[in-house]
Amino acid sequence: MPDPTKMQCGEIDALLSDAIEGKLTGAQLASFEAHTQSCASCGPLFAEAAAGHTWLKSLEDVEPPTEMVTNILVATTGLDTTRLHAKFGERISWLDRAQDWADGFFTPVLAFARQPRFVMSFGMIFFGLSVSLSMAGVKVTDIRHADLRPSAIKRGYYETSGRVVKYYENIRFVYEIESRVREFKKATAPAETEPIKKDNRHTNDTSQEPEQHQERNYSQGDSQQLLASSPTQPPVVILEGTYRRLS
Amino acid sequence: MVEDAQVGALLVRRCIAGDTGAWEEIVQRYHRRIYNICYRFAGSADDAQDLTQEVFIKMYRTLNTYDLEKGALMTWVTTMTRNLLVDHFRRTKQDRMTDSLDAAPSDHEDAAPLSERIEDKALTPDFGVQSRETRELVHRGLQKLSPELREAVILRDLQDMDYKDIAAVLKVPEGTVKSRINRGRAELARLLQRTYRQVM
Repeated sequence: MPDPTKMQCGEIDALLSDAIEGKLTGAQLASFEAHTQSCASCGPLFAEAAAGHTWLKSLEDVEPPTEMVTNILVATTGLDTTRLHAKFGERISWLDRAQDWADGFFTPVLAFARQPRFVMSFGMIFFGLSVSLSMAGVKVTDIRHADLRPSAIKRGYYETSGRVVKYYENIRFVYEIESRVREFKKATAPAETEPIKKDNRHTNDTSQEPEQHQERNYSQGDSQQLLASSPTQPPVVILEGTYRRLS
Repeated sequence: MVEDAQVGALLVRRCIAGDTGAWEEIVQRYHRRIYNICYRFAGSADDAQDLTQEVFIKMYRTLNTYDLEKGALMTWVTTMTRNLLVDHFRRTKQDRMTDSLDAAPSDHEDAAPLSERIEDKALTPDFGVQSRETRELVHRGLQKLSPELREAVILRDLQDMDYKDIAAVLKVPEGTVKSRINRGRAELARLLQRTYRQVM
């Protein structure tokens, strides 16, 4: 008949952890020790478990990487604030924060602007604008606050375009007059010029001839009559339509 | 303990209300613990870092499902960590089942009987236990335990959790927890003594 004060092997497994961790006391501890010292299977098991517990307790906590909290917060909330960095011991002044912000904004822009191709492009744009403005009669020193109003800009646009059109029309009128005068001269002296023309037909020297290309360019298409080829008739010069004012 | 649970619940409520400071506090409070569990279970610092981050990402997404009635925040976080570790273990297929104490001894094992090896004074845990090399050996020995035994001893001996909380995390009865812890400790001792025998 088994002794009721003695423990059975089935009970040992339940008490093993408590025994190893020193939680057994009194009669329970005495019974446990008595059993493990006499039992061929529970004794070694207790010794092994106790040894394993000691080994495991020798392990210490490892330190997580310092940037782990920041990484987690960035991964979860996208939070990467200066407050977070300051919490880890980095004291950041408002000036440094402003500088960080400015660096973050300007550094990529400056890096792009420093490229030679960008500098060349900027130079060409500046040169082109300068030439265009000077041709349009705009002087930077003449610009006042009032000139930058939308109505003033609009008025300036129309005035400038009007000046350009007028300039073009005046140039065109001058060339027309020159052309007519040249034609009139030809028409009034046909006899003197005809033999010379005949001689010149056999040569390739056209240096003495008037600039017919220019005459075509600026006079063709108008309602004028070309009279140089009809020397027997009196010269007639007709100017139609345009009474232009030189300004 | 109850106070900790209430503090955790309050932090969760603040966090759900949009207080980013509360979330930061939760991360500060639990990241070290989670990292250590992951490191001891997975074995490598890199894996532990990734897994810890994964735990917090999952936690952040499911924070509104936390229920104080079901347990303290620490238990909830540890459960989540354990589930992710199990998933990671299955994913990486590193199922390294060790010899069970219940298994029969191998044929080529001509060493002394287990009881004699345990009593070998040269192989007691006190031998060089403080050295870094020894701790490294213990850490590597821990990786050779089966996941069921490993998680039980990590939670008990390294994280000092109550048997009740461990039972809640592992979703097994308390008796099973104690049994796994006993087997895990004994298995680790066997592995380490075998290692020392080879080294020496």
